[in-house]
Amino acid sequence: MGHQMAQQISAALRQSIHRIVLVLASFLPGILAFLLAVIVFALIGWGLSALIRRLLIAVRFDERLASREAPGSTGIITEWSPSNSPTVLAQRTTFWLLVLAGIAVGISAFDASYAEDSRYSIFLLPYVAHVAGAILILLIGTLVARFLARSVLIGAVNAQLQYARFLSLGIKWLVLVLTAAMVLDHLNIGSGVVELAFGILFGGIVLTLSLAIGLGSRDLVSRSIEKTMEKPAAPRPTEIPTRTDTDTPPRLRHF
Amino acid sequence: MSSTPLTADATQPTAYPESGPTPAPARRSTAELLICLPALAPDALPHALQAIATAFPTESVLVACAHAPESPTDFPSLDLIPYSSARSDVGWILAAGDYAAAAQLALEHNARAIILLGGDTAALSAPNALDPTLLRSLIDCLRSKNIDLVLPRFAVGPNDALVNSALLYPLSRALFGADIRFPLPIDAALSARLAQRLGTSTQRLMALNQGSTLLWPVAESAAAGFSVREVSAGDAVPPTPPPPQTQADFNALFTSVAGSLFNDIETKSSFWQRARGMYAPSVQPSSPPPIAELAASPEIHSMIETFRLAQDNLQEIWSLVLPPQSRLALKKLSVLSPDAFTMEPDLWARVVYDFALAYHLRTLNRSHLLGAMTPLYFAWVASYLRFVADDASRAAHAIELTAAAFENEKSYIVSRWRWPDRFNP
Repeated sequence: MGHQMAQQISAALRQSIHRIVLVLASFLPGILAFLLAVIVFALIGWGLSALIRRLLIAVRFDERLASREAPGSTGIITEWSPSNSPTVLAQRTTFWLLVLAGIAVGISAFDASYAEDSRYSIFLLPYVAHVAGAILILLIGTLVARFLARSVLIGAVNAQLQYARFLSLGIKWLVLVLTAAMVLDHLNIGSGVVELAFGILFGGIVLTLSLAIGLGSRDLVSRSIEKTMEKPAAPRPTEIPTRTDTDTPPRLRHF
Repeated sequence: MSSTPLTADATQPTAYPESGPTPAPARRSTAELLICLPALAPDALPHALQAIATAFPTESVLVACAHAPESPTDFPSLDLIPYSSARSDVGWILAAGDYAAAAQLALEHNARAIILLGGDTAALSAPNALDPTLLRSLIDCLRSKNIDLVLPRFAVGPNDALVNSALLYPLSRALFGADIRFPLPIDAALSARLAQRLGTSTQRLMALNQGSTLLWPVAESAAAGFSVREVSAGDAVPPTPPPPQTQADFNALFTSVAGSLFNDIETKSSFWQRARGMYAPSVQPSSPPPIAELAASPEIHSMIETFRLAQDNLQEIWSLVLPPQSRLALKKLSVLSPDAFTMEPDLWARVVYDFALAYHLRTLNRSHLLGAMTPLYFAWVASYLRFVADDASRAAHAIELTAAAFENEKSYIVSRWRWPDRFNP
């Protein structure tokens, strides 16, 4: 009885190991095909991006682009390029586009070598596209959050707002929370929960900021309202004062 | 809009890009002297023409002004031609479009000397606002000494033209060797060859429809090896923009002027890095008259407060721009009481040079960079106002000290410009 049972267990184990080995044997070529496709496309991308870089340097692409911008202006492409070089931007974009293409081809090759049906590629390819989109959203969101946070911080400091850092952090987290919600939504992860959580969190941050600014600037607002009530708002001067202006000049003249 | 390439040959009339309405070709005339007026009210034009006729009674003068009347004026020596002045981004000073239009007119009419009067339209509209003596002395200096650029030197109070005293004058003097008190001119007299050079340099701006961009003729003259002088404007005060209504207005103005200057420094870096011995070695100014330093006024308090707030909040940004020793010096400065608040001129000079370098390297977004510099400028102003104590001679001394510090620290900017990573933490 015991011997028969041991034989059955042994047979079951052998069969399961056999099945696993079979699965691995059919899975490995697919993985190798995937890796090969990615590596080959990455190499092509590397070569192509190097070629593009040489070409753009030869035609002085950065200088030509900069010369089209007005002196003192902040060129958008230059400003958002890595190392402030549009050439580097073009080089890296080419490389990563080819890597993405390699991933797509790899998934397709994996699917072809693994199974008869194409259910994996049908599932994986759109998801890879979603992942790429999500990464892009995350990248842009992080850059925008940093840019806005700095803009608000500098503006608030120059406006002598004591809560400048708090305001800047608030803006930064607003954008980051918005970005995170968009990324998760894009990946179809817990869409309902994410929307709800985002609404609560976003609303909470806005309410907190409103209360902080409202309470912090209470005196400022009341003074402003009092001034408006006391005298009608004077139109803002549009003309430059004349040299014979008899008004009392301000104590300081910066210009 | 024409985009004909320019040549350096002054004998060949060359078409400059236009900044506005085309001057009427039918009214071509020649004169040695061309005076470009800003847009004036019709009833103000006779006052200006009177002043010009008084200044140049025996000379035939071309007067370029917007809406030039078709009928002859009461001044037979003056010939009016149409011209469109450009209002600069900051409003009251000469812009690239003004120089481009003047260069175009000078070429068309073979003018050898040009006077450009700035955008202070309202000021010029007043009777007797245009000083004939100043006009005459500008042209006399230009002609008699064979100078290319003559600028008026206005009389300013100790608390006036602070951006000029803190940035424009010291940088212009240290980097371009031009001891010109107001390097961003409101009025200017130019030789024909300088006008042509400025016209050439504004060509790209005009093609980009950027005629309102600021131009730095003093630096341009220095880079070209042209001579620059200034003549006293007597008691005339320089026209100024309306006082900023809000802090944001001031920040925008400051950012615009400082950004334009840093851009010009970047453009001419090959010139000022090799320029040596252009100015006499700076002599340490004699001690100022003893006077009790000003107790910190509410204005000074406010500016120090802005600086301290920035010291607490902008460290992340400043650390990208300033080396550790400058940040340490600023930290020490921030804990001083308002009555002892003194920013050393050499610290200010290094800070400005560091920001100019960061502007060049695009260490961070340029509008952020210039915004982060504003509180440091306020720190300098607070320190300056305390030292000056409303006294004109002390103001002159403080400005001289600042300019001398910029000259002495020039090696610092040259080193950092060439090897920026060497100083980075």
